[in-house]
Amino acid sequence: MKKYDVIVVGAGNGGLVAAATTAKAGYRTLLLEKHNLPGGCATSFVRGRFEFEPSLHELCSESTHEASRSTSRIFADLGADVPLYFENELFRVIARGEDGYDVTLPAGEAAFVDAMENIVPGCRASVQALFDLNREFDEAQLYMDGGAMNPSVLMDKYGDFVRACGHSVDELFDALGMPEKAQDIIKTYWSYLGVPTDDLNAMHYISLLCAYVEGRPSMPYHRSHELSLALAKAVQGFGGEIRYNTEVTRFLYDVDGAAIGVIAGGETILAKKVISNIIPNNVVNRSYGKRLPASMKKLVNARKLGLTFITIYLGLDCTMQELGVKDYSVFVLGDKNSRAQFDARGEFGMYIVNCLNRPLPESSPEGTCTLFFTLPFMPEDFPEELKPEEYKKFKNGIARKYIEDYEKLMGLSILPHIEEIAVATPVTFARYLGTPGGEIYGYASTEWDNVVNRTVFKDLENRIKNLYFCGGHSIRGDGFPSGYITGEMAALDAIRDLKEGK
Amino acid sequence: MSDKPNISSLSRTRFVKNAAARVKAVAKASGDEPKALDDYAANRIVAALHPHVQHLKIAEIIEHGPDMKSFLLEPDRTKGTERLAWFSAGQYLSIHLEVGGASLNRPYSIASSSRDALNGRYRITVKRVEGGVASGYMLDHWQVGGSVLASAPLGEFTYEPLRDAKTVIGVAGGSGITPFRSFAKAIFEGDEDFELVLLYGSRTIGDAVFSDEIAEMAASCPKIRLVNVLSEQKKRGCEHGFITAELIRKYAPEGEYSIFLCGPQAMYRFVDKEIESLGVRRKFVRHELFGEYFHPEQNGDYKGDINAEYTVTVRVAGEEYRIPCRADTTLLRAMEAAGIAAPSDCRSGRCGWCRSQLLAGEVYVPESVDGRRYADKEYGYIHPCCTFPLGDVTIDVPPMGC
Repeated sequence: MKKYDVIVVGAGNGGLVAAATTAKAGYRTLLLEKHNLPGGCATSFVRGRFEFEPSLHELCSESTHEASRSTSRIFADLGADVPLYFENELFRVIARGEDGYDVTLPAGEAAFVDAMENIVPGCRASVQALFDLNREFDEAQLYMDGGAMNPSVLMDKYGDFVRACGHSVDELFDALGMPEKAQDIIKTYWSYLGVPTDDLNAMHYISLLCAYVEGRPSMPYHRSHELSLALAKAVQGFGGEIRYNTEVTRFLYDVDGAAIGVIAGGETILAKKVISNIIPNNVVNRSYGKRLPASMKKLVNARKLGLTFITIYLGLDCTMQELGVKDYSVFVLGDKNSRAQFDARGEFGMYIVNCLNRPLPESSPEGTCTLFFTLPFMPEDFPEELKPEEYKKFKNGIARKYIEDYEKLMGLSILPHIEEIAVATPVTFARYLGTPGGEIYGYASTEWDNVVNRTVFKDLENRIKNLYFCGGHSIRGDGFPSGYITGEMAALDAIRDLKEGK
Repeated sequence: MSDKPNISSLSRTRFVKNAAARVKAVAKASGDEPKALDDYAANRIVAALHPHVQHLKIAEIIEHGPDMKSFLLEPDRTKGTERLAWFSAGQYLSIHLEVGGASLNRPYSIASSSRDALNGRYRITVKRVEGGVASGYMLDHWQVGGSVLASAPLGEFTYEPLRDAKTVIGVAGGSGITPFRSFAKAIFEGDEDFELVLLYGSRTIGDAVFSDEIAEMAASCPKIRLVNVLSEQKKRGCEHGFITAELIRKYAPEGEYSIFLCGPQAMYRFVDKEIESLGVRRKFVRHELFGEYFHPEQNGDYKGDINAEYTVTVRVAGEEYRIPCRADTTLLRAMEAAGIAAPSDCRSGRCGWCRSQLLAGEVYVPESVDGRRYADKEYGYIHPCCTFPLGDVTIDVPPMGC
């Protein structure tokens, strides 16, 4: 039997970086993937003459505030060189209803603050304060990364960081006295983290916002499949092995409950360390219960599954100019309040429409363009009694409803130009990602289960010897960069323990 | 205190309270097994629509003359397939065969309706292909009660109401009638909603399998119309000749219509030229899979020696095989002939299920069937089903999976 130092389960963003990192450090690494492609969400699919991006809106990879933890630094370290396009506009947001608004925001701190002041006179100081806070967050994180962390120093020197860590976006924005309209506009990105701003950790959100504003949104030229192939190449280049079409059906433990390997594709494969890019729910369900600490099941049961989506991919037989589309990313809000947007899932609470041809004109054949609709959805929203034979009508019904809504809102004629259409739902994500309910964002961020608490408890709870977690369900929540960053963190933890013989 | 907006009104210790809340929430949570995937509605739909494999049994065989048979397939519950997966009319099954040491997959359109699947039946119709290993095997050896290993329903040759016109001109040639039988039956049974005008090309009416059956449905369903187009027979009520632009125009409705084509490659080449003169928008012309690619040397950009024979080194699931492959043979066919179980479904370059990594060597991929992702081309991945060797090559092939 072949024995490995490290088995990585799942070749999503986290798994790819984890495997490349351990392989680079010289450990015999095996990456197992149930699908025939790497990447998980970071992939692409072909319909007719179109190649669609399934998930990525934009990376905030060049984030200056945590450059040490940026996507580009991780890719560079692994020799995975993927050119990125950088976009100067963040998004256009259209809020309907009384006092609605339709504004487009630029990237760049100064430009962003100026634009906000233009839209909401008098908001400048409170908006500027977000960026100042974020700089303190960076310093606090540098301090904590430095090792010997003294809680009282943290409290005194980085008080605002600590405050932000304990409060929601709504609470923090109110404390800053930010005008309501400015708040509403600046909260537009909430769906990127999956929970409305009354439940969303302020430190987490401000970091994300500033990463986009300062780092500028960016994207690979040839869909996120390109990112995944660059990482897969890195894994192999460092001597790691990747096996596709090989699903892990069982996690194995010794009598003391330490992970010792997996059963995959019918074969028992042993390793010193196992890094899971798949959600703990699936790990627990693929483990003999008695070998797991009871606390792990409790933790899994206590947490709430995160966001999923319904996504509509359209290949159109006209250019974006002919269609009359001008923007890359448009957020359409049914209400100004993020909680109301979240609650009206499926009823135009909020949705995003992207046209990749704006930043990347060659992302579809000449004379064509693509549109990509994203609608938030929760695993529990999926109709419990829907029959398989009703599924296609179900998804087409939603697609038509949203396409027609966007046509009406923007005065466009989309339907007659549809040359290719694909509609993905939690069923699609459950199929390709294998997640419970088709969740994409891991666990929902809540007051007690957010990046701060998860970080605090990382080494205290849920510890199974030799088993590490990375990906959207791990400490940083969803998003491409979080996947990459937690992949590296899990690998570094495993490497540290391997070195220390733990 | 400065007037600068600040957050000093917020408590510094709140995150500690949140941490305590975490400990409490976890402590009071259930220690039972978490919900299994089957407990989620979306995952149940996945299992029903996209099973990894379907274990089937031959329930009945219907002969359509000496070289064509229909096989009615039912779920083989003894092997764990409880029910047949629902599908969209026009989809196919990839049938796995082990024939004399070769390991083959072949796509066959489902000729029955999706409603039939609910009632436990798929129908595939197999015509003998000259020199065809798979069709010959199925026609000569498949018996009632025999086991069949099939994929989930696959393919994109389906009616999409948000994309296609209200009327579809179906162009069927020979055994290309099978998906149209499924379309017609699904319309008849109310599961599909569009007008189908079926132009069915055969040599003689005796060759027009399913013609009577479809005509019978058409007689009581105004959404279905059948026109037999006979190339070698003049017959009342039938068109004579080939399916030309003029003929399509004759039966087309006013305004927009889609054209769906399924038939032999020669038919595609002929009818595609005819369609050009109709001025139908590209989005309204849909083809079923092209099928196996032969004669790469007929393309202007082919620079190989078509008479050469090379060695292909195949790595799969930790094993390594060295097999011969002629320049005019796809890597997939060479692997099949050598008995290597390699994944494949559409065999037309489109579906990507055979996707493999090219580790060394030069290959030729005809542009018209190159359905790869952009980055796959950049990073050296190929679809062996439409890839020809230009020298000795080494490839890494994923195992078939479950």
